[in-house]
Amino acid sequence: MTELKTYLLKRHHGLLVSAVVIGSTLTIYSENASSEWWTPGEDTPIAPYIEYANEYGTVGVLNTEGTVITDGHPFFEDLGENGRGCVTCHQPADGMSLSLSSIQERWEETGGMDPLFAAVDGMDCPNLPAGEADSHSLLLKRGLIRINLPWPPVDQAGNTIDPEFSIEVVRDPTGCNNDPVYGLEGERQEISVYRRPRLAGNLRYVASSSFGVGPFIGKTGELAGIDPETGRPVNMNMMADARVFTLKMQAQSAATSHLEILGGLSAEQLQQIKDFEQQLYVAQAFSFGAGRLVEEGGPSGLGPQAMAAGRDGLLGNNITNYVFPMENKWADLPDGGTEDEAARNAFRESVQRGHDNFFFRTFFIKDAQHINTVGMGNPIKRTCATCHGMHMTGMDAANGWMDLGTTNHPWALEPAESPWAEEMPEMPLFRVTCRSDLPPHPFLGREIYTQDPGRALISGKCQDVGAIVMQQMRGLSARAPYFSNGSAANLRELVDFYDRRFNIRYTEQEKIDLINFLSVL
Amino acid sequence: MENLRTLSSLAMGTIMVCTGAVAAEVGERISFVSCPIIRDTRTVPCWTSEYEDTTYYLTIQSDVTTPVPTPFLGHKVLVEGVVSDKPQICGGVVIDDIMLTALPEIDANCNTMLPADDRYEIDFNPRPPGPSGGRLAFNTAPSEPPPPPEGPQTIDMYFDFDRGITFRHPRNLTGVMRTAEQIGATRMEVIGFRGAHRLSDGSLLQESESTGQRRAKEVAELLHGAGLDLETTISWTDSVDEADGIYDWQSRRVRVLLTP
Repeated sequence: MTELKTYLLKRHHGLLVSAVVIGSTLTIYSENASSEWWTPGEDTPIAPYIEYANEYGTVGVLNTEGTVITDGHPFFEDLGENGRGCVTCHQPADGMSLSLSSIQERWEETGGMDPLFAAVDGMDCPNLPAGEADSHSLLLKRGLIRINLPWPPVDQAGNTIDPEFSIEVVRDPTGCNNDPVYGLEGERQEISVYRRPRLAGNLRYVASSSFGVGPFIGKTGELAGIDPETGRPVNMNMMADARVFTLKMQAQSAATSHLEILGGLSAEQLQQIKDFEQQLYVAQAFSFGAGRLVEEGGPSGLGPQAMAAGRDGLLGNNITNYVFPMENKWADLPDGGTEDEAARNAFRESVQRGHDNFFFRTFFIKDAQHINTVGMGNPIKRTCATCHGMHMTGMDAANGWMDLGTTNHPWALEPAESPWAEEMPEMPLFRVTCRSDLPPHPFLGREIYTQDPGRALISGKCQDVGAIVMQQMRGLSARAPYFSNGSAANLRELVDFYDRRFNIRYTEQEKIDLINFLSVL
Repeated sequence: MENLRTLSSLAMGTIMVCTGAVAAEVGERISFVSCPIIRDTRTVPCWTSEYEDTTYYLTIQSDVTTPVPTPFLGHKVLVEGVVSDKPQICGGVVIDDIMLTALPEIDANCNTMLPADDRYEIDFNPRPPGPSGGRLAFNTAPSEPPPPPEGPQTIDMYFDFDRGITFRHPRNLTGVMRTAEQIGATRMEVIGFRGAHRLSDGSLLQESESTGQRRAKEVAELLHGAGLDLETTISWTDSVDEADGIYDWQSRRVRVLLTP
């Protein structure tokens, strides 16, 4: 006889979304899928703990300070010119990020009228025809928001930086980088790159200054960012290019750009957002394969409650702390009394193997700027956890921008160009030429082709071309696609990228184990 | 350098294999530019390089605390040190007092990766090729803090060939700031040097002409940016005539003079 359990997954808009577990198989029953979308200004309180369904199970969203009253809360209100709130791109159901499936559903349900699709950055370029899917191609196909940055760059004090390289537009599928207004040579002298919204949860870890933070950046020796409120150096791990680096700076930057709040947020509003974000934790809570991820006697590093209890600013690439502590709990499980228990235990053992692979399986990391350049040599024989080394999040240590090749040629993913190809490249392509009187980029030389120069658009440094601040690895199941340019559509493509990039030669079983492991984070 | 000597002495227990090549004389100071070669082992990889038909052992992979920069494939390496008669490591003659730096220009010929070979074993690695036991490979903190400095102080910072500030320098820079505070500095003089190397074949290898200037300005700007607000003089020199093949890596430097 099959056991049947019903879980209340969330309460939202007064709708109950329930899940029925038959054995180890969980089926989500939603009375209205769109009810998962959080609209700015809807004023529904957000409960202390909610779970939302996703492809691999459920993601848990935990507010440790209890129920959050969203009425009047600047994270949840529409305060700007375009109808957006912070929550527009940081949806609880998407693990406080924004999944491509949610974007596509929203387009279908609103006919492209949701504020998410605002011209300012929800279009490939603001002056494209409104209401046409082609005008929003990168958002609708890859989940990418346009980020317009000044060129040449400007430092924290507002001074123009003399860059170490020149930049040209080689390919401009969106039309924005050659646009007479928005283009690199246009009236506004901007460059447009396209990036995924990052996870606005677990930020106590992301913003921690407890490890490796000093006046000089540990990986490069440059000046660290300074918190304007405290005057102290800070971790710069929040944004893809570290252009701003405190929770309040990020909120203000997003408010004036993405939300088009002309006067910006008030000091009180910024504090409210900071307070909210620092008590908010996100992680996968239930797995179709592994069952409940938070249970007595289970691995201590899984689930949102573990995120709330964990210590920030702690290096985990060691056998004293671990990145994602599992204590070998799922290493050797019994076959189980029933077929379903056996299947669950087999999946859990796969997760454990994936963890062990992530933590212990060596391969040669080669030509990765800001990892091979920090004393260990090129290549280094290490593991995934070498770069993804911070306890509980799998981010890099302080100031963790790094070039893995996700946006730089020859590794960046693009369809092959040929007379017979039906699929065309979607991303812009830039040619960066580094100055001849300075040392070249150590692995890419003086002429670099990139979809997104990343940190170099802020620092102006040749060595930073394509370097992107590493993201945390939590809530992955809720927020595909992956990488800053959305180039990995799913966990399989993410694992395949690393396999190809570093010639790891994973077996099929290793890939499955890694995917299962990533799916429960 | 003491750490490197420790590494070499620890290596006494490793398996020795002679290459049959004739090395430079023991005790001879050598300086050469060549491609580095990385060889995998069951533990951490080791690095070697070939010069005048001899294979030299350079270093092993450790971590960010390594006292000697680890080579880069894709770049030639500049090697300096004294030929040793210690047992060979990874099939290479050991060089004492070794210093390495990757040359900045890319050289696609330097791309040799060799597989693990049972003849070569690294059993003195302070850090495995994966997660650590909870501490870094080299304990870089002094056992006892030095007495507080008094009076004028001179601090030298050393650089990779043709390079400016890198990950090695935050410790130097914070050291300058701490010293300045301790002695109550009012003036700072920053002098940048362009390095040069007398190689074993008699040739002179020089850094780019503007390197000394670039380094001095960069160091001064970073110290000012970090809040060291002192009356500052910046100067540099392009003099290269002192290169004699002995500790030439120390010519790649910035000297900071702090005056109370």
